[in-house]
Amino acid sequence: MLRNYLRKMAGTTQSPPGVGLAEIFWSWLGGCLGIGAVAYLNFQLVEKADQVLLVASLGASAVLIYGATKSPLAQPRNLVGGHLISAFIGVASYKIFAPHLWLAATLAVAFSIAAMHATKTLHPPGGATALIAIIGGPKIQSLGFFYLVLPVGAGVLIMLVVALIFNNLPRTRRYPEFWL
Amino acid sequence: MPESEPHPEMPAPPALTDQDIYEAMREIQGYLDITPGDFKEIFLLAYKHALERLRRAVRAGDLMTREVVAVSPEAPLPDVAKIMGDHGVSGVPVVDSENRVLGVISEKDFISRMATGGSKNFMSVLAECLQVKKCLALPMREQKAADLMSSPPLTVGLDTPLWEIARLFTENNINRAPVTDAAGRLLGMVSRGDLIRVSTQGP
Repeated sequence: MLRNYLRKMAGTTQSPPGVGLAEIFWSWLGGCLGIGAVAYLNFQLVEKADQVLLVASLGASAVLIYGATKSPLAQPRNLVGGHLISAFIGVASYKIFAPHLWLAATLAVAFSIAAMHATKTLHPPGGATALIAIIGGPKIQSLGFFYLVLPVGAGVLIMLVVALIFNNLPRTRRYPEFWL
Repeated sequence: MPESEPHPEMPAPPALTDQDIYEAMREIQGYLDITPGDFKEIFLLAYKHALERLRRAVRAGDLMTREVVAVSPEAPLPDVAKIMGDHGVSGVPVVDSENRVLGVISEKDFISRMATGGSKNFMSVLAECLQVKKCLALPMREQKAADLMSSPPLTVGLDTPLWEIARLFTENNINRAPVTDAAGRLLGMVSRGDLIRVSTQGP
């Protein structure tokens, strides 16, 4: 039994093939445009209004929606649903458990995973979005549920629009695979 | 019949190597969020589902031969043998005047009637023939179809699924069965050959 258990750690298959140079280039360019749009607006516009648009979890989303466009995890349903659901759970968790931040952080991430699974919106950056609601500093913490609108909702929407426009330009790409 | 139980007539999935999958994944542009191992697992399960679906979808009515030579129970056996020979069939249904199936006569029935020893197959009959120098079939000359036929016949309906026909053949060690309507009237015949044809070419 122990041997079987340990054998599972050895893995069973090989790693999938790497992508070609063209795919690497398109992924790079997508990341430039998507994060570029959000970052530009954040620093040139939103920050001056003492608000935030650019959150770290959008960087993680960029990997998926510009680097793994076919993945179920990268589809609009998952991108939007995963972030919004996790943002809600993160804020709620902070409101319920603060000042016990370790507990708030733990349950925010755990419940985000469960809720994303249950709603078929699994999107790994959602876990970061939930966590940021708790550890993102006083500015984020003071937003309350407005966190779902700005930065999360607005940031995700911009990223999605860029993905729709950009990912369908290369001959070898299309996006999305599905909406709902 | 439980779905998980593999059937003896189930064709094996094509031998797909990990290398084949790896190469296929390379040919697809873009990053695939899946390992070759996952793909293989999905493929094998999907293949099983496809077979199961085909097995259920194909029914006796889809594969049967409709133009069937039948004989009456009063037909003398020499005539029956000639009809089978002329049409190149190894079995015929025996039907009454209203086309109701009463039984089936096959080559096997003739051979087992000719054999006197323990093994009732063609080669033992042939061996015996060569030894006694007389026709072993002669005693059958005066007999009729009704005397030789296997009765009651094992029949199937138009809606009997492929897997059930295969099981009927295997369990009863038979090679053909008449397809009948609710009143037992002959509509066609399904044979082992029909099953093989459909599993290689589709209906």
